[in-house]
This record gives sequence, structure tokens and C-alpha cells, in this order.
Amino acid sequence: MAVLEVKNLSKSFGDLQVLRDISFNVEEGQVVSVIGPSGSGKSTLLRCVNQLERADSGEINVCGMNMLHMNGSKAVYAPHKTLREIRLRIGLVFQNFNLFPHMNVMQNIIEAPVHVLKKPKAEAVQDAVELLEKMGLSGKEKAYPCELSGGQQQRVSIARALALRPDVLFFDEPTSALDPELTGEILKVIKGLAAEKMTMVIVTHEMEFAREVSNHVIFMDGGYIVEEGAPELLFGDTQNERTKQFLSRYRK
Amino acid sequence: MNFDDYLKVSKILLEYLPYTLKLFFFTLLFSIPLGMVVTWLKKCRFKPVSWLTNIYILIMRGTPLMLQIVAVYFAIPMMVSSAKKAGSIEGTFYETLDKFKANENYMFIMLVIAFSFNYAAYFAEIFRGGIESIPVGQYEASSMLGLTKMQTFFRIILPQVVKRVIPATSNEVIVLVKDTSLATIISYTEIMLKAKQQMNAYSSIGPLFVAGLFYFVLNAVVTVAFMLIEKHYDYYK
Ligand SMILES: Nc1ncnc2c1ncn2[C@@H]1O[C@H](COP(=O)(O)OP(=O)(O)OP(=O)(O)O)[C@@H](O)[C@H]1O
Ligand SMILES: [Mg+2]
Repeated sequence: MAVLEVKNLSKSFGDLQVLRDISFNVEEGQVVSVIGPSGSGKSTLLRCVNQLERADSGEINVCGMNMLHMNGSKAVYAPHKTLREIRLRIGLVFQNFNLFPHMNVMQNIIEAPVHVLKKPKAEAVQDAVELLEKMGLSGKEKAYPCELSGGQQQRVSIARALALRPDVLFFDEPTSALDPELTGEILKVIKGLAAEKMTMVIVTHEMEFAREVSNHVIFMDGGYIVEEGAPELLFGDTQNERTKQFLSRYRK
Repeated sequence: MNFDDYLKVSKILLEYLPYTLKLFFFTLLFSIPLGMVVTWLKKCRFKPVSWLTNIYILIMRGTPLMLQIVAVYFAIPMMVSSAKKAGSIEGTFYETLDKFKANENYMFIMLVIAFSFNYAAYFAEIFRGGIESIPVGQYEASSMLGLTKMQTFFRIILPQVVKRVIPATSNEVIVLVKDTSLATIISYTEIMLKAKQQMNAYSSIGPLFVAGLFYFVLNAVVTVAFMLIEKHYDYYK
């Protein structure tokens, strides 16, 4: 079953059309990388799917629930309750983490399970301990975000997103706010999740990583999906001139 | 003035210190919550409410507090007397006001009203600055985690705002300690008024120095209190 279906999605900021007729699916267990030059609309696409931005037109279905559809030429969003339900099924990892600075690591992770899902606190803490162990952060429960390295903060934010047990996890350039030597630890965590068949959509500038970890790659430019397919195809022998040109910049 | 005189003056001022403190604490008690309400009204999406709030803030910050105290204090007697002139006092709203005006706490209540509305305008601007300084990412992360608007505000935004507004709030509170002396304009007996009386009695400015010392010590206490509060929030940056 498709975890995410996007059809004919369009979005403008004023006169600037940022997304043009975007359609793609994400199947369960798939790891999709979204690549493309700066300003091509990758973040906007993620933000539209995550309800942080309103789309102008198109259709979006998440886990079989309709989030957005067209009624004639009018974009219609699902009722508030459905939108909220959908939001709880997906997670987003931000480029700059957006951890809650006044809460320690444990509080950051259990905030939503306890106050949104109304899980008993002891259970939420137990889950968090396991997640932290998986992230290689055991013993950091009491640390505050400001006491952690960028890489550690990003791993906490991944744990925080995973604590809601989402069906699909989105990443917007999870490593680009980090020192190069710290990107490895994040990529390792994402690989670990991929091995567990976590469905993920990752916007990234790390071509090597996209090629290694994903089983589907989307190349965006100027608000269009220029090409999509298996990584072997895109990175191997694409026939598309625009893709070739973009990738050649990373082959040095 | 000899040493004994200074001691006597200090004792008198000390006796009236509670009146200064009462005005100070009641003003804080009302102006801070009122300031939050004003912030909320100013950020209201229904524009007329936001504009009216802006006008209120402009007036409160744009005119002297001393003037506002006098206006608030005399507004009610004026209303009552003009009602009387029109011959419409019986069994009306004005009669209630007329009774209220005779209340033994009338002056104090009017002072607290004037001070609270004035300080609320300043606090409102401080709180608004604090709220607007919180990065939008905090709201986006909250929304992605499914927190409601109320939860986001009270659990994520407000605690961070509190930390950020402490320095500016401490400035306002220090000014308030000194501003309580403006109550002398309507002859509220607190330490400043007493100091002026003693000044006349002794024909010396000595009592003023004593009053100055009182304010100075009060503000030393306020400063230390805020240092402790700041320290309490030091656990994160
Ligand atoms: N809130 C906004 N208001 C106006 N324009 C915006 C807004 N957000 C993005 N844009 C514009 O939309 C275009 C696409 O932006 P977007 O952030 O989606 O690109 P991107 O592919 O994520 O780029 P990058 O690789 O640099 O992150 C850009 O031209 C950007 O300036
Ligand atoms: Mg981007």
C-alpha cells in the first residue's frame, strides 16, 4: 500500500511558482531521496505534505486518509480532526533540529507520547530509553540540548519523532547544519532505520548517501520532478541532460 | 539635623514604608496578568481589537503616569458631580460611584488602577517582544508532534518567553519602586510624602536623603531577587 500519494501538487508564493504539478508515491518500507539544486522546491514539497505550508492545488493521501483533494478547481483540506490524525502518523526531522531548549533530552522525547498520545509516563520513559540506546545516546537523558553537539541534538530530534511511532518519517537536509565530521553519525542512524524497513523521505545534498541508502530517488528542478527512479538508474546512466548536469557537480 | 533627628525621620518613614510596599505589590499583582491580556489582545487577529489595544498602549506610554493618576482619581467625583447637576443621581450607576468614592480605600484602589493600567502597557510590550523572539521552528516542531495550540503556548512557548523577558521585566520593576512616589500627587501617604513633610518640619533636605536610601535599599532587594530568578533559569541557554 502507498503510505503517501501525491498527485498534481502545486504551490506558489505570490508570483513565484515553487511546485508545479508534482506527483509521486511512497510505498511502505521505501526509502526515497529527494535531490535537486537549491531553490528547486524540495523543502516546500516536504512542508506541504507535513501541513506546515498550504498547497494551492492537488491531492495528498497519507496512510489511506485523504488530506487534500480538489473539488472542481478548489483545493479542499480534510477536517481538522483528520488533519491531526494524519499529523500523528508522520514525523519530520528538521535541518536545525528544533528541540525544545528548556526541556532535557528525556522530556523532549516523552513530551508528545505523554501529552498528545496520553501514554502513561513510565511507559513513555521506557520507550525513550530504548530509542536513545538505538541512537547511541544512552546516559544523555538528563542533558539539555545546549549541552549536546549538533550531531547528538539531531539524533535526539530523530528519537523525538520516532517516539510517536510514525508510519513515515521525513527528513529535510538532516545533516546540512552539521560539521562534516558529524554527518556520519546521522547517516548511520538513518541507515539503521532503513534496515528496519522504516518508510522515509529524505531531502539531501549527500549524493553518496542517497545512492547507498535509498531505493528510489526523485530529482527536482525548478518546481518540477525532472526524473525519478532507482538510484542505479539515476546515478548510473541517466539519459536526462538536466540530471547529468546536476550530478556532474558532485562528481569531483 | 543631628543623628537623633535622622533616626527619628527614619522611624517615621519606616512606619509608612508598608504603604509604599502595598502600592508596589498590588500594582505588580494586577499589571503582570493584565499585561499578558493586553499582549494577547494586541496579537488578536480581529484587527479593530488590535488597533484599540495599540491606542491604549500609545496613550499609557505616551502620557505621564502622574497625569494618569490625577485623571483616574478625579474622574469618578467629576462624573458623580456632573450627574448630580443633571439631577439624575438616585438609584443609578452614579449613586454606586458616589458611595464607592466615600470608601476608605478609595484613594488606594484608584492608585492601583492607574498604576496597573500604566504598567500593563509596558509589560505587554515586553511580553510581546518575548513571544515574537521565539523561533518559528518551535511552533513547527510542536505542530509536527501533534501538540494543540494551547499546549504549544503553555508548555513550549511560555516557559521560554519567561526566561527571555526577565531582564526587561526587572528594569520595569525597578522603575516601579521609584514611581510609587508619584502617588504623592494625590496626597497618598507613603514614604515620599512623609519625607517632604519632614523636610518642611526640619527645614532641611536631610529627610530626602533618608527617603532616597529607602528606595535604594528596596531596589537592591529587587535586583538580588531578579538575579536569583535569572540564575534559576540558567540551566539552559
Ligand atoms: N515562505 C516563503 N515565502 C516566499 N518564498 C518562499 C518561501 N519559502 C520558500 N520560498 C521560495 O521558494 C523557492 C523554493 O524554496 P525551497 O526552500 O523549497 O527550496 P529547496 O529546494 O528546499 O532549496 P534548498 O536546497 O536551498 O533548501 C525558493 O525560491 C524560495 O525562495
Ligand atoms: Mg530546503
